Amino acid sequence: MSLLLVPTREEEAADMIRAAAEAKRSLAISGGNTRSGFGQQVEAQGVLRSAGLSGIVAYDPAEMVLTARAGTPVSEIEEALAENGQMLAFEPMDHRAVMGTVGEPTIGGIFATNTSGPRRFVAGAARDSLLGVRYINGRGEVLRAGGRVMKNVTGLDLVKLLAGSFGTLGFLTEVTFRVLPRPQDQRTIILSGLDDGEAARAMAIAMSLSVEVSGAAHLPESVRGRFLNGNLSDGPATVLRLEGLAASVAVRAQKLVATLQSLAPISQLEAEESRVLWQEIRDVKPYADGTMKPLWRVSVAPTSGFQLVAALRLQAGIDCFYDWQGGLLWMRMESEPEGELVRHVMHQTGGGHATLVRASDDMRATENAFEPLPAAVLALQARVKQQLDPAGIFNPGKMARS
Amino acid sequence: MSDVISFLPPREKVLARRSTIIADLADLLPADCLVHEPRELVPFETDAFVAYRRLPLAVVLPHNTAQVAAVLKYCHRYGVPVVPRGAGTSLCGGAIPQEDAVVIGLSKMSRILEVDFANRTATVQAGVTNLSISDTVGPEGYFYAPDPSSQLACTIGGNIAMNSGGAHCLKYGVTTNNLLGVKMVLMDGTVIDLGGKHLDSAGYDLLGLVCGSEGQLGIVTEATVRLIAKPEGARPVLFGFTSSEEAGACVADVIGAGIIPVAIEFMDKPAIEICEAFAKAGYPLDVEALLIVEVEGSEAEMEAMLSSIVEIARRHGVKTVRESQSATEAALIWKGRKSAFGATGRIADYICMDGTVPLSKLSYVLKRTSEIVEGFGLRVANVFHAGDGNMHPLILFNANDPVEAAKAEAAGNEILKLCVDAGGCLTGEHGVGIEKRDLMLHQYTRAELDQQIRVREAFDSQWLLNPSKVFPLDGRPQTAGAV
Amino acid sequence: MQTNFTAEQLADPHVAESEAILRRCVHCGFCTATCPTYVTLGNELDSPRGRIYLIKDMLENGRAADAQVVKHLDRCLSCLACTTTCPSGVDYMHLIDNARAHVENTYRRPLMDRLIRNVLAFVLPYPSRFRAALKLARIGKPFGPMLAGFAPLKPFAAMLTLAPVTLPQPLPQQSQPLAVAKRGRVAILTGCAQPVLDPRINEATERLLTRLGVEIARPKGEGCCGALVHHMGREEQALNFARRNVDVWTREIEERGLDAIIITASGCGTTIKDYGHMLRLDPSYAEKARRISALAKDITEYLATLDLPPLESRGLTVAYHSACSMQHGQKITLQPKALLRNAGFAVRDPAEGHLCCGSAGTYNILQPEISAQLKARKVKNIEATKANIIATGNIGCMTQIASGTAMPIVHTVELLDWAYGGPKPDKLS
Repeated sequence: MSLLLVPTREEEAADMIRAAAEAKRSLAISGGNTRSGFGQQVEAQGVLRSAGLSGIVAYDPAEMVLTARAGTPVSEIEEALAENGQMLAFEPMDHRAVMGTVGEPTIGGIFATNTSGPRRFVAGAARDSLLGVRYINGRGEVLRAGGRVMKNVTGLDLVKLLAGSFGTLGFLTEVTFRVLPRPQDQRTIILSGLDDGEAARAMAIAMSLSVEVSGAAHLPESVRGRFLNGNLSDGPATVLRLEGLAASVAVRAQKLVATLQSLAPISQLEAEESRVLWQEIRDVKPYADGTMKPLWRVSVAPTSGFQLVAALRLQAGIDCFYDWQGGLLWMRMESEPEGELVRHVMHQTGGGHATLVRASDDMRATENAFEPLPAAVLALQARVKQQLDPAGIFNPGKMARS
Repeated sequence: MSDVISFLPPREKVLARRSTIIADLADLLPADCLVHEPRELVPFETDAFVAYRRLPLAVVLPHNTAQVAAVLKYCHRYGVPVVPRGAGTSLCGGAIPQEDAVVIGLSKMSRILEVDFANRTATVQAGVTNLSISDTVGPEGYFYAPDPSSQLACTIGGNIAMNSGGAHCLKYGVTTNNLLGVKMVLMDGTVIDLGGKHLDSAGYDLLGLVCGSEGQLGIVTEATVRLIAKPEGARPVLFGFTSSEEAGACVADVIGAGIIPVAIEFMDKPAIEICEAFAKAGYPLDVEALLIVEVEGSEAEMEAMLSSIVEIARRHGVKTVRESQSATEAALIWKGRKSAFGATGRIADYICMDGTVPLSKLSYVLKRTSEIVEGFGLRVANVFHAGDGNMHPLILFNANDPVEAAKAEAAGNEILKLCVDAGGCLTGEHGVGIEKRDLMLHQYTRAELDQQIRVREAFDSQWLLNPSKVFPLDGRPQTAGAV
Repeated sequence: MQTNFTAEQLADPHVAESEAILRRCVHCGFCTATCPTYVTLGNELDSPRGRIYLIKDMLENGRAADAQVVKHLDRCLSCLACTTTCPSGVDYMHLIDNARAHVENTYRRPLMDRLIRNVLAFVLPYPSRFRAALKLARIGKPFGPMLAGFAPLKPFAAMLTLAPVTLPQPLPQQSQPLAVAKRGRVAILTGCAQPVLDPRINEATERLLTRLGVEIARPKGEGCCGALVHHMGREEQALNFARRNVDVWTREIEERGLDAIIITASGCGTTIKDYGHMLRLDPSYAEKARRISALAKDITEYLATLDLPPLESRGLTVAYHSACSMQHGQKITLQPKALLRNAGFAVRDPAEGHLCCGSAGTYNILQPEISAQLKARKVKNIEATKANIIATGNIGCMTQIASGTAMPIVHTVELLDWAYGGPKPDKLS
């Protein structure tokens, strides 16, 4: 049984890390532990959790900036934001249902995993909203990176480096991020009956219009019934979200419909249903199936997504749907094809990166969860890691299979 | 100007081998790619931070990534420092060379390699100018969002080095938010690709780290950037106020009301006069402060947003409100704003500050800025991106008067410290370069800076890449020519 | 920008002027982006900012010009795009003029370079010599490619390529009586190369003005405006041309009065409008030259004051090429297009309209390689407009562009003359 460390003060955490570094004792880093299945399995001698470092430190809605301790539950943040009519622009996914975990996701965990949702393809990822952090490096030093202003190019951008580093470079203790006004209204335009390729084209057309689509997903027939309790209209659904002032949403919807109506029958979802649908897309509802069937998340150029799927289908049984204008694939494998196949096909169809989000323990032990990197980049990464965590105590082996 | 900011002492071994190095570079590159005659090196001795100047050892102007790699590999092998240069528009001395350095200019790498409308990306060589991307994709209804004022001339490579912003980043973000991938050459000549047409990347966010790294980590030779569909319409509106404080408070209230225009630009009276003289954009001359607020979208959206903004501005006693009536007029309004720095050259020499402060501190910092500059017996013009608190006080002085020049630099340092103390930072979009290098310890602790330095060393352990910049010379590791 | 001149250096009015110009430059680099040579060569040394720096270094150190500096100054087209772009108001035109004079005074060019420049300065400004030379060129044309193979002879090859195969003969001049009430009296610059290469331009100008009630004065003795040699740095020769023209027009003004001096080649217009500045240090000419410069008007500038009636659409699309001397030198951008539209032509602006076509006086002869690249770029942009006709206001551009495209190219005034009752230009039939 490994040692569980749950510091309640930053200094305390620093002491723990210093001690671990001196003893060369490795630590598994986590927040609410709802995404711990990410990446390679970590064999560590201790567990360091940020859950004890909780609470909003500063929030001035007029500046659209919020500072919170890393272990603050996401729900607490979202509540505070909602009270002020604001939101997290990057729409972070809640992984619990799909990964079968329990507990409270933390804001630090969101940034450490760079978790984003459907709006990411136009509004940026979690890392794009992150303005500054306090963190503890592998030497146990409490450090800051970035700040609390939106424009800041002072020195190296270690904020970006730490975001999405899965706790392998530093232990986040506090995060400062930008928030945005919550759109007053939203609606979803649904094109029915398009195949994957036609959907990709339709979404590209939608994105070429000046209507500011903030969500573009394609839900093939196999998953359609698992959204909105099966209430989506028949056939594959290509869904486009518009958000903003009510009057403006109406005008833009009209324009969007006028342009796309020759392609497919069109229906619309009003605000409430639209909200539910996009939350379900965000949380990958169709594959929150209580199984450990392998779930791949593949990011490619939007027009390559359907080609990849078509090519892969010739060799493997997959169920999938598309977000981000077709550039984000959620693929559930019916059998267990090797990552090598997925990645081979992906590189043949234009490249990108494939992440194994969920899998059985057996598969996780033999599969690269993250896209393998070219040797030169891998070496660079190792050197960067060495400079932040010289003793190699943070989440050893998380990023790459050794 | 009295050289207050020092450079690293040149590496004697490199200077001693000068003629060999030049001969070797001549073997690596076509003749039109190498500049080494003493006279011809002079125009490369500085960038737009013209107060400081150093002659380089040589300048190379490669045509392609392979040539950049060959030069870097060579310099790595023989320990020759390199200084990357885009269009040389840096306001912080980011491209100023040093006596023992080879300048690698990307100006010949100015081709747009691919425009992919379906995926909304453009892949370009690093020497392509910022504006030419928007010019190229404009006819198809797209644009590249980051728009630094120097966008006409500055290159994408330089934008990536400095993580450049611009007037419209309030809505669209800065370079790092619009950059999808790069091809870059590491100091040892290795060529790597980071990112691509897809979003996010595997492994650490090295792309995010490289963006804004001021040529400390490698040389970017190609970039893939995100294109955005142009809004249906866009309209800049001029709001004239009787005091800077009122204008500043109005900005905070607009943002606080949940309205995010695409841009909110601020000019004080001296800046208004300077810009109007050049652009003849119809800026009101009878006000103390001017906001250029741009809204975009459909006619209905613009109207709705404008009426809310006008209402807030009224509460702050706005004196004039003028909407641009045509595309030509709108273009003139932006031309005036974007030429502000250069146009200042009509009346005086200047140094341009770039601190960012939280919006709530805007009025206070503006007031203190005037007091500081006046305390030195100098004048200041303010023109900046108010929506995100990124200030650009222009301190006016006479560059031929060494005493004034020293005062201007001292005043600038005080203003930057003020910005940090107000909860902001030294530089919002121009970069650290040499200009703010020695102020870094005002913003960061030694340990914080050391951590950045260690990350830097993961890329360039010999400190050959742009070595006099960003990190104070004091307290550097031995390898970096510690002073 | 900081400068470093001694009081002694500044006693020279040319140095003092250069210093004042240099002080305005803030080294922002905007000018690089619109400079044709920088865009083509990608080297700071071949940009306005680079040349400003080279000039500054040379003048500050009181140094004679040398081959390294001259190479880059020679590559400047003097298109003045940089002055349109410059937010600081750097008067690059007069800075490069001063620098060219300094080069001419302190630098001995290689033999072939001297030779070609002497030939150009001897021939081009004089219509009779130019006409004779073109006849010779026709005989020499087949040898062009041979010469091009040998670097120092490239300019000769370029000349042979540019020389037209046939020259239009001037039509007999008819002094037509004014058809309507007199609205003004103007002189039209005859100039040097234009009447040889394309006499139709001034014929159209005369016809149109006469029909509109403008009396044409024909003062004897005017000639080349001096621009060609001015751009080679031959200051004295240029000033002598200027003085001669100032004398001729001053006499005309004093005897019978002139409302304007009309120029149909914008390259000449830029120079004549600068006579006041060029002769400012000559007490006996300064005042007179200023008056001439004030009266100098491009034909489109003058026509724009005459309120021409709007005409029905002609169903023809014109790509308007704005000569550098027109848009940058004289800042005339709107009038020519407005006049064409008013006369019933659809007008299109080619992309990259700010970039020079590479003609630039004698540039296409002295810098044939860069010139050819610029020509190709210009032609591509113009052809992309899919217009029927190219219109422009400078003979240099007409010759240059015509040598790269099959699209007909005419002077703006030829189209206007045709629209308002004159004959259809030969080149369109």
